[in-house]
Amino acid sequence: MDVQEVLRGVKPLLGQVVPVRTVQETRPREEFEDAYAVEVNVKNASKVIKVLDNAFPRDPSRPLNHLRRFAKHTQIPDELRPVLIKGEPSTQTIFTLITPPLPDADTLRELLAPFAPPSDSSQSSETQPSQDTTGTIHLHTIRIPTQPPLNIAQAEKWSKTMWPVVFNPATPRATIAPPPHALSCVHESLKPKAGRYLALARIVAAEAEKSGVGRGVGAVVVDPELEATIDATDDARWADAIVAVAGDIRYARREGGAVSEAERHQGTGPNPNAQAYNPDVEGGPELHALMHAVDLVASARRKQAGGEMNQSIPLTPLEEFFLTQSDAPVHQSAEESDNLSPVPRKYQKTETEAYPMPTDTDSTRVPRLRSREQGGYLCTDLDVYMTHEPCLCCSMGLLLSRFRAVIFPRQGRMVAGGIASEPVISPVPVEEAEEASAPTSDPPEQEEAPSSEASRPYYGLHWRKELNWRAMGFEFVEDEITEKSAEEGVAFHA
Amino acid sequence: MPTNLSDMAQDDNKHIYFMKQALLMGEKALEVGETPVGCVLVYRGQIVGSGMNDTNKSMNGTRHAEFIAIDEMLRAYPRSLLRSTDLYVTVEPCVMCASALRQYQIRAVYFGCSNERFGGTGSILSLHSDTSIDPPYPVYGGLFGKQAIMLLRRFYIQENEKAPKPRPKKHRELNTKFDDET
Repeated sequence: MDVQEVLRGVKPLLGQVVPVRTVQETRPREEFEDAYAVEVNVKNASKVIKVLDNAFPRDPSRPLNHLRRFAKHTQIPDELRPVLIKGEPSTQTIFTLITPPLPDADTLRELLAPFAPPSDSSQSSETQPSQDTTGTIHLHTIRIPTQPPLNIAQAEKWSKTMWPVVFNPATPRATIAPPPHALSCVHESLKPKAGRYLALARIVAAEAEKSGVGRGVGAVVVDPELEATIDATDDARWADAIVAVAGDIRYARREGGAVSEAERHQGTGPNPNAQAYNPDVEGGPELHALMHAVDLVASARRKQAGGEMNQSIPLTPLEEFFLTQSDAPVHQSAEESDNLSPVPRKYQKTETEAYPMPTDTDSTRVPRLRSREQGGYLCTDLDVYMTHEPCLCCSMGLLLSRFRAVIFPRQGRMVAGGIASEPVISPVPVEEAEEASAPTSDPPEQEEAPSSEASRPYYGLHWRKELNWRAMGFEFVEDEITEKSAEEGVAFHA
Repeated sequence: MPTNLSDMAQDDNKHIYFMKQALLMGEKALEVGETPVGCVLVYRGQIVGSGMNDTNKSMNGTRHAEFIAIDEMLRAYPRSLLRSTDLYVTVEPCVMCASALRQYQIRAVYFGCSNERFGGTGSILSLHSDTSIDPPYPVYGGLFGKQAIMLLRRFYIQENEKAPKPRPKKHRELNTKFDDET
């Protein structure tokens, strides 16, 4: 196989890249906690804030700015009025909110005592019978929403029933989704070449399938930082930022001393096992395309560090090509390349002739994969393009490998996938366009999945606030769909 | 169903023995500077695979103890035997491993302490029992949980020379107390 010819012949998929929303966006979870509402003298409002903020500094990681710090009597939700307001509403006092984590009640009472409401408007003794003296501070426990409202309706509902809430559409919802700016930066950076990388991933997948070593699943790993240094107009260098490609190899492992499934089915053509899902011959997730790619990156790193590659399963020409590029010079001068090419001899002729020569001659021999000294670590800040939605195991594997982003065609969604966060509903391009033009519009409340939809869980594992590591997820929506979605095919782990 | 008490006691001894072997693997990991998580795979009362975290040495963040143990087992046995194999692991399997174990159709998982940051069998997600194309597996937590936690504490008190900016931890003291003395 002439790798250069393959690279030249890659026809980009046409379509658009759309972010995969987080599960907290698609199924907003409401969270509530206890807080105190405390009546204070309206004249002392600013002092109260100062005293409170000094004594209990606010935790910046818990944005509670959607909750008003004060509520006038008229703003108190109807449900709380009987508890908070005794007698006629007054303009002499105001209620301040003490948010969680709640401080010690006695400390708080002591702190706020100087600002207690005048005795005539203070509470009757019903709530705190033993402490009915002038200037007593009463702490009323109420429930508050700890997450910012996602739309106006929610803000209004909470304001009417719990506590006055402000809706700010611009609030970066850092706790439930990637910061909008960061997301759009990554999104923009992926757009120009996603179709091409995905097309290559499909070629890698076809190689894996044809050879019988695995299912038709492929992965392409790209260093976006390296990509930024490549002259975008130089079409011959489009693949220069790829640090690894890998196909599925689930049938290639020998187990218990026996021949592998791939060896059992000699000859060309897809492995017959691929026609159904039989867990006993599937091989494990460490043989899936993504894990294989992670393993190739790791072995290149070990080699950089002076270790061994120890590849037990033979690589395809494409895998071999990019693996050797990863610890080899990206930039070679024509004179050097003859004797210094790290490309195995059997490919060497092709490479030295066809691999595009750099125009900048001063560049030294830099491996594509950044070394440890250059900040290279695991798969930090790399992007992975997949033909299919990775399985749950691989989805978590990509987080543990610290990838920046994962991109797969929507056609490659899998019933056992770990990234999608909601069913595909209407004709998607239209819907996406609307959403893009009206980012502040309210998401439909409690969207019901159409009953015809195959039931599968939606984990949205790429970005979950519960997990320590996160990546951005994108689907590639092709303009023209000619085959049925992988979700309707054999259910297996990609 | 009548339960034979001596059988139960024997069962307990078995669990204790295998979890201790897993803890020993965790000790080994600690000695070589890996996150101290260890595990063993048990088929018909025999250890057929053992593993410890290997992410630093392999430079691969997915090389968790479970995968290492499965690798070892599969050198001698076909994967179909995992259906009759139990895993003893010092820390609750992470989301990745929880899914892998399900794909491998493990028979049962016994773990020491739970994993509040990445746990995939109850702490963060419940991949052992969620809807999936593979059958669910039972999990039993809390066996030598404190010993598993102490291994982790001993690890995290060390300075990480491999970190870009090692944080001095000279003055840290090993915490040997537990909030919930049960």
